[in-house]
Amino acid sequence: MSFSVMLEQLSSGMVKSLGIFVLTLVFSLPLGLLVAFGRMSKNRLLQNIIKVYISVLRGTPLMLQLLVVYFGPYYLFGMRIGGTYRFLAIIIGFSLNYAAYFAEIYRSGIESMPVGQYEAATVLGYNKIQCFFRIIFPQVVKRILPAVTNEVITLVKDTSLSFSLAYAEMFTIAKQIAAAQTTFMPFVVAAIFYYVFNLVVAVTMEKIEKKLSYYQ
Amino acid sequence: MKKGMIGMALAAALAASMVAGTVCMADERTTFAVGFDAEYPPYGYMDENGDYTGFDIELAQAVCDLRGWELVKTPIAWDSKDMELESGAIDCIWSGFTINGREDDYAWSLPYVDNSQVVVVTEDSGITDLAGLEGKIVAAQAASAALELLSEGGDQADLGATFGTLQEFADYNTAFAELKAGSVDAVAMDVGVAQYQIKTSEGCKILDETLNAEQYGIGFALGNEELRDQVNESLLELLDNGTFDELAEKYELSDMVCLAAPAEEAMETETEAAEAETEAMTE
Repeated sequence: MSFSVMLEQLSSGMVKSLGIFVLTLVFSLPLGLLVAFGRMSKNRLLQNIIKVYISVLRGTPLMLQLLVVYFGPYYLFGMRIGGTYRFLAIIIGFSLNYAAYFAEIYRSGIESMPVGQYEAATVLGYNKIQCFFRIIFPQVVKRILPAVTNEVITLVKDTSLSFSLAYAEMFTIAKQIAAAQTTFMPFVVAAIFYYVFNLVVAVTMEKIEKKLSYYQ
Repeated sequence: MKKGMIGMALAAALAASMVAGTVCMADERTTFAVGFDAEYPPYGYMDENGDYTGFDIELAQAVCDLRGWELVKTPIAWDSKDMELESGAIDCIWSGFTINGREDDYAWSLPYVDNSQVVVVTEDSGITDLAGLEGKIVAAQAASAALELLSEGGDQADLGATFGTLQEFADYNTAFAELKAGSVDAVAMDVGVAQYQIKTSEGCKILDETLNAEQYGIGFALGNEELRDQVNESLLELLDNGTFDELAEKYELSDMVCLAAPAEEAMETETEAAEAETEAMTE
């Protein structure tokens, strides 16, 4: 296999890794916020359910969770799983897992806001929803951005865990090329790809951070 | 708080509907999903152009061409092969799959390759026979036939017990790197794969003494004998028209292939196949 073909193959794998990355963020960021609300809920039952959810999702390996999401429908409910479910399972698995982490990040941000702001908002006639989305949330976003960046960078690297379901993202393809060509070159190339990917993520997040720090 | 609960319920419903949408049963077979280890040359691997190929893959393609099925090449993680098969994600395991020791676990096709499990060592290791492996670190792929053979309950368990360590690894490429780096003393594996690896690994050799003689078959889920019989029938057709031998030659496996029409002892399967055929015709 020529080097250019290898690059081409790994690039096509990169596109799939990128797909997992983007879709996971699209689903887990909003889901994380909902989970955070549940975690901070005054309803004891909901709060405890969410606590268990976060505890389990953070306390077990993501690779294991992927296997459970993929094979679970069959072993638990006897459903036959078809070809496209492999990808869906990966997105569901990653989204559920990352939502748990994001929820705690949101919570840290939301709970760090001084009570006085809520009181002031109430006095000014804001209702709870207006207060949260117009006053609290924009500040929360700024505060939690470094922590979110951490998770997002981890996610880029975690996409490689999809190899456990043999989904043809970059790491799986690198392994396959390595086996067929009996060489470790694809891993070197894959490492560079991941690094560049993360460099882009880090630079972008830094830019967003700067843009949001308009009061400093 | 209420909002949060509704949102959660919505998300759960969405996830559930996505699952339900993809889980459906096909009435008539149009596709044939073959599960294989894509890191297992020359049986299944990624070729120069980045497509999956290999002796098993091309053979499966030929069967599909005969049957008018669409071949779905499904690379699987070898550890999860049983879960993939049971859950219906794949129709069969076709990946240099050893029958011996797993006779009752799958509905097996006719055996098509005579294989043996061998041990690869480095030339300068001074190891010349199986007895020389005493106290050494020997590696075998997780969930592989070689591992089962050498572990407790296997036919070579006594030999396995003499090893210093029986190390499990995920893929052969890593195992060979470890062998050359000296972190393991020997690797136990299928002879076909060993020969492929040896071509590019200088300083490695296969011990003359083999661990066993065994056969490869295509593994179908128990209870799926009908599909098994259809594939068997097509395989024999490919043997008759020469395609099978051509493929064997292409992948340098001519010395090892053993596909043959079943003899008397297998009459039962043949009648079954014939019955299935009449059934198919009357339908």
